[in-house]
Amino acid sequence: MKKLPWLAAGCGLLFNLASAGADLPAARLIVKPLLCVIDREAGQCSMTFRIRWKSEAAAEYCLNDSALSTPLRCWPSAASGTHDQQRTVSEAFVYWLGAPNGTQRAAEVKIDVLRLDSQDRRRERRARHVWDVL
Amino acid sequence: MLRFIMRMTGNVFKIAALCGLASLAHAQADAPETARAASTVAVTPAPAPPPSRERSWRIGAAFGYGERTNPLIQSDDIPVLVDVDIAWFGKRWFFDNGDVGFTLFDRSSSTTSLVARVNDDRVFFGKTNTRYVNFAYAGNGFTTALPPPSTSGNGGPGTPGSQEPPPPVEVNPPDRDYAIEAGIESLLDGDWGAAELRAFHDVSGTHGGYEVSVHYSRRFTAGRLSISPTVGFSYKSAQMNDYYWGVHADEASDALPEYHAGAGFNLEGGLVTNYYLTRHLRFALSVNYERLADEIAASPLAEDDYVLAYFSGFAWTF
Repeated sequence: MKKLPWLAAGCGLLFNLASAGADLPAARLIVKPLLCVIDREAGQCSMTFRIRWKSEAAAEYCLNDSALSTPLRCWPSAASGTHDQQRTVSEAFVYWLGAPNGTQRAAEVKIDVLRLDSQDRRRERRARHVWDVL
Repeated sequence: MLRFIMRMTGNVFKIAALCGLASLAHAQADAPETARAASTVAVTPAPAPPPSRERSWRIGAAFGYGERTNPLIQSDDIPVLVDVDIAWFGKRWFFDNGDVGFTLFDRSSSTTSLVARVNDDRVFFGKTNTRYVNFAYAGNGFTTALPPPSTSGNGGPGTPGSQEPPPPVEVNPPDRDYAIEAGIESLLDGDWGAAELRAFHDVSGTHGGYEVSVHYSRRFTAGRLSISPTVGFSYKSAQMNDYYWGVHADEASDALPEYHAGAGFNLEGGLVTNYYLTRHLRFALSVNYERLADEIAASPLAEDDYVLAYFSGFAWTF
């Protein structure tokens, strides 16, 4: 059972590896949690993200938040790292690992936002049909 | 070749199932964690822009197991293994799983639409069986069901003085048609929850009746879990109830005495629970109980005085 998170992360890593830059060593980035659920009462999530990354070779990496213009943290010469970030979330964003100049991305992970409430209340019409039980 | 294809297909399913299970277990461990590393940074981005425009189409499907009981005599419960959700919402027009609507007013606290729909009571009459019941005249005005006839005996079956019972009577729930109904629907919501008010009348000349319903629901969300209890009632007119649940004169028999159903209230309560694994995938659990009006429950066509529906499974929304 302990291997299941790694297996799930591994499925996602296939995409992370594909986005690796040409000059930076390939890296994998693992972030938890990946989803923020927003409803009418709470317009945002207050979350603590645990971010881990590991690369094939030591290099200078910076961890970035797509909502911010400056890196969250940089590692001068490292092949792995961890970082925790408390954050409020109301829109989807991306954590990405890249070179300090920001031109290359070694890996990225998208944090999704799911809005349960809708601006169109017709979308929340009650299920009525005999086969529709949700 | 066929075995190879089947083996490959099986392997693909196994891998998909493994990844799905891993994602499920992984997602459950994704609850917000407390800060524990040395480098914890609090970041609050600038206020987010208003939500982007929603897509017009909503397409989804749920796979699992569920059932809706069938209160009709000699009928099977309705299994629900797949729950398909197809809807389209334009500025005025919309289509929602068979309902077609035109929005008249869309205000800050309510939306009112004209809606055409197909009545669902007919669905219960789609899974019926024919049975044969033996009846004997008891001599006091009542008929009594007897066991199936034996093959031996004196005289003709069912004849006076005969020891054999009369021939079995075919008991077959009558056919009913779908009705097209048109009406008005108001959706209201606020911090107090959401309400749906509906009034529909048959426009297809099937039953000629009407239905008025009121439902209230409120969704509670905690992390990835949402729970939505619902309560409500529907008032169905005598014409409507009698068409579906009455035993009409030309349908009456010893097994099904003539019956005319009057108007009445159906009461309903339900609970829908969703646990969101990803933005598109959720685990859903729902249960709904509807108490049928006394006028329906008393019908010879009604075996139960309730309809219970439940479902559990994974739902995907595209």
